[in-house]
Amino acid sequence: MKFSQFIGQEDAKLGLILNAIDPRCGGLLLVGGKGTGKSTLARLARGIVPPGTPFIDLPLNVTEDSLLGGIDLEQTLKTGQRTLQPGIISRANGGVVFVDDINLLSQELLALLMEPQSRGEEIIEREGLTERRDCSFSIVSTMNPEEGDLSPHLMDRIGLCALMEEQNDSKERLAIMRLANSNRVFTVERDQETDAAISAARMLLPDVLLSPDVLEYLHQVVQKNISLGHRGDLFLYAAARAYTAFQGVADIANEHIDRVANLVFAHRRLQVREEEQTTTEPEQHDHNHDQQDQEQQNNQGEQASLPENGENNNDNQPSVEGEQESEPSQRESVDQEEIMQVGSPFKVRRLSFRKDRQKRQATGRRTKTRVKGRGGRYVKSLLTSPDPDIAIDATLRACAPFQKARGRDGCLIIEQDDLRFRQRERKMGHLVLFVMDGSGSMGAQKRMVETKGAIQALLLDCYQKRDKVAMVVFRKDRAELVLPPTASVELAAKRLAVLPVGGKTPLAAGLLETHNLVKRVGMRHPETRFLVVLITDGRGNHALVEKSSMKQEISSLTRLLAEQSQCDFIVIDTEHKGNFLRTDQAIELAQQLEADYYTVEALQAEYLSELVQARSL
Amino acid sequence: MNFPFTAIVGQEQLKTALILNVIDPGIGGLLVMGEKGTAKSTAVRALADLLPELTVVQDCRFHCGPESELCSVCQERQAEKALSLGHKKMRVVELPLGITEDRLIGTLDIEHAIKHGEKRFEPGLLADANRNFLYVDEVNLLEDHIIDLLLDSAAMGVNTVEREGISFTHPARFILVGTMNPEEGDLRPQLLDRFGLCVQVVGLHEKEQRMEILRRKADFDQDPTAFGQLWRKQQQELAEKIVAARDWLPRVETSDATLERIVSITAALHLDGHRADIVIMKTARALAAYRRLTAIGNAEIRDAALIALTHRQKRLPFEEVGSEQGKLTRVLEESLS
Repeated sequence: MKFSQFIGQEDAKLGLILNAIDPRCGGLLLVGGKGTGKSTLARLARGIVPPGTPFIDLPLNVTEDSLLGGIDLEQTLKTGQRTLQPGIISRANGGVVFVDDINLLSQELLALLMEPQSRGEEIIEREGLTERRDCSFSIVSTMNPEEGDLSPHLMDRIGLCALMEEQNDSKERLAIMRLANSNRVFTVERDQETDAAISAARMLLPDVLLSPDVLEYLHQVVQKNISLGHRGDLFLYAAARAYTAFQGVADIANEHIDRVANLVFAHRRLQVREEEQTTTEPEQHDHNHDQQDQEQQNNQGEQASLPENGENNNDNQPSVEGEQESEPSQRESVDQEEIMQVGSPFKVRRLSFRKDRQKRQATGRRTKTRVKGRGGRYVKSLLTSPDPDIAIDATLRACAPFQKARGRDGCLIIEQDDLRFRQRERKMGHLVLFVMDGSGSMGAQKRMVETKGAIQALLLDCYQKRDKVAMVVFRKDRAELVLPPTASVELAAKRLAVLPVGGKTPLAAGLLETHNLVKRVGMRHPETRFLVVLITDGRGNHALVEKSSMKQEISSLTRLLAEQSQCDFIVIDTEHKGNFLRTDQAIELAQQLEADYYTVEALQAEYLSELVQARSL
Repeated sequence: MNFPFTAIVGQEQLKTALILNVIDPGIGGLLVMGEKGTAKSTAVRALADLLPELTVVQDCRFHCGPESELCSVCQERQAEKALSLGHKKMRVVELPLGITEDRLIGTLDIEHAIKHGEKRFEPGLLADANRNFLYVDEVNLLEDHIIDLLLDSAAMGVNTVEREGISFTHPARFILVGTMNPEEGDLRPQLLDRFGLCVQVVGLHEKEQRMEILRRKADFDQDPTAFGQLWRKQQQELAEKIVAARDWLPRVETSDATLERIVSITAALHLDGHRADIVIMKTARALAAYRRLTAIGNAEIRDAALIALTHRQKRLPFEEVGSEQGKLTRVLEESLS
């Protein structure tokens, strides 16, 4: 199959052509749902680069050594001299690196790949080897946003981005089917015409000029598409220039800029929107990133760090405390049960955990963790490690230069000092425990509808991060585990939909059940981390033990819970804040639990790509 | 010894879906959803006895075929002289849940490296799976990073290894078959979409059928060999029918009218992506070949759509697979009347 035979997706095709003309366009990211032809198109691009140009698949199984290069075992053994075996970055020089599902690749490795690309030079300092070499390559990548996001600062480094949608035109669909019918085995053929047009454009490129008027216009376009930093400007210039050359003219005109602007800003606009969100609303700091990521983020994310405890309105909280007993009971005359529908889900802000040092055996993708055992993804080798998990490849490379001196005859002679160990990494899932207030007050003003929407959104997030979920509901006179820990977010959503509301608020019972569950699960799976999402207005009005002080019950239970080091807490306040009867007791609860605090409304955040959302709903 | 495929009571849709994948491996595999004890695994394992022979390059670790992509070794050999061919039975390769990444994709041959100071690639399970069935029991419990690697090679039928100083590529075009019990967790959409077909199996409720299952199971347990003998004729007939259907496949014509009918169905259901169109087409074609027809009729399109679309329909987040089945039947009735 040839590149030009690919049907539709003109933006994506143009993006690939522009990068083939000038690698300074900064690569291309293809964003789209499953089955939209992202990978197929990207692979067809192999047929539009000149023969002999490197086009390297970067698989998800890549290790740091393979990416950056290291000692060449065979050569080093032969000569006794350290010889470099070039890594993917060196091999890609002058060509293309293709990363399918870039959002599934370890972010650490991705940063290592992008750094030399944007610097234009590769510096190798590994395994006793030192080398510097020029490097220039473009990164063509794909991602399906359903499977999770790409961190904004890595996204920003990608020059162009095209959104791919399936063709709805039935003529095009038919054509695609006919094509599939004729191609029994998919092979990439050279596309000579496109290649010739690209070569011609490359020849013309040095002569393409930007007049002061058009520069002015370029600036306006950038202004209109507010983007952070200057990368947008530079990529827009490069893309417009390549496009102009592709059109066979030497002067960049306004319409050339217009044609490529969308490719340059598609992913930057989304980023700006996310950034705005973080500056206007309280935000948990994202601990997921490793050290290196954080350094790079500091440029853009500094002001995004957070006020600890939510909105400023908790000033007036102590004054209302006295009224709590009398007031809620009036509203809770709603004794009959009701089942509220689920409000529409929205994308939630990223929930994160404090990274700790404990090693665990876990699977999921919320927090990166060092992994005990042999299960995780082998990312790189280390000089020392408490685990005897030997990285054979690195060990052999380390011993290679000394074999002659050690008098090797046959088998390699490996000494203690040669040993290298594997560092494995796996994103870890968590048990997210929803503890819900199902009392009558939740029925008032249909708070439950919005709340259910918020939980639905959190469940979506849990799905993407492969968390387990469980659900406790407290209402009437007891708390009930309505959903035992499960990996089926589907099941959780089903239970959520049929959750009834009505009766009193046994908050203390809810807290106790939470504590018991944490203990129970912790006993069987000591490595589990918990995120307890407590959804309530905080107005408990039913004590655990008859006639005991409810306030005391709650405060001793919260103290007990706050001591659980494997637990993080989030309190979602469902109280209607427009009401003069507001008590803000949930804020107090959040303080006692050292929890992050949100109102239902504050939890909302826009989806990464509205486009994709429209389709997945 | 496997329970004979033909002796499985009921579950016709499951059995047909498996057979269609043998007839045209391009259909892209099968996901079997259902509760415990509904003969899911039995059927998949039993399929092994019915599989035809493949024409393979002799001594190739990846069983390259003369008409499929070649591994780098075979490419080099072919440049020198014509490849010598042999036959190998198609297999069902099982992928256990606890598999490590190096066993899946292959790794550095440690022994060879230490003894001889040379790097050599030691193939993993994906090499075994090339041109064969790759079966994952309880696929929804598979570890996340293993799924990533599986998807990576399933996308283009190639396993690219860049690790431990090894840089190696070989064909890995496998037919992915998974079974799952939806109550134990769901499947990532991207993996779900990778399965060409999906059938939902339920336990049989009729007393007669249940008794028959018990009888056959008891006979099999008592003397598997004798039981196998009893079903030998049926097994042989089915195996021959499958081979005949494979040969027949190129004779089935796909007319424009057929393609249009398929598109009208997927358009009415507002489906994501193009995989649905293509899978229905291939499945209907394989069905026609199995039924010894030279043209695809409405019956083939309907039967194909039912198993190709179950898991591809638009669902609200967290709606169960199959919850839109009513709509599917309605659309099929309208489009194919």
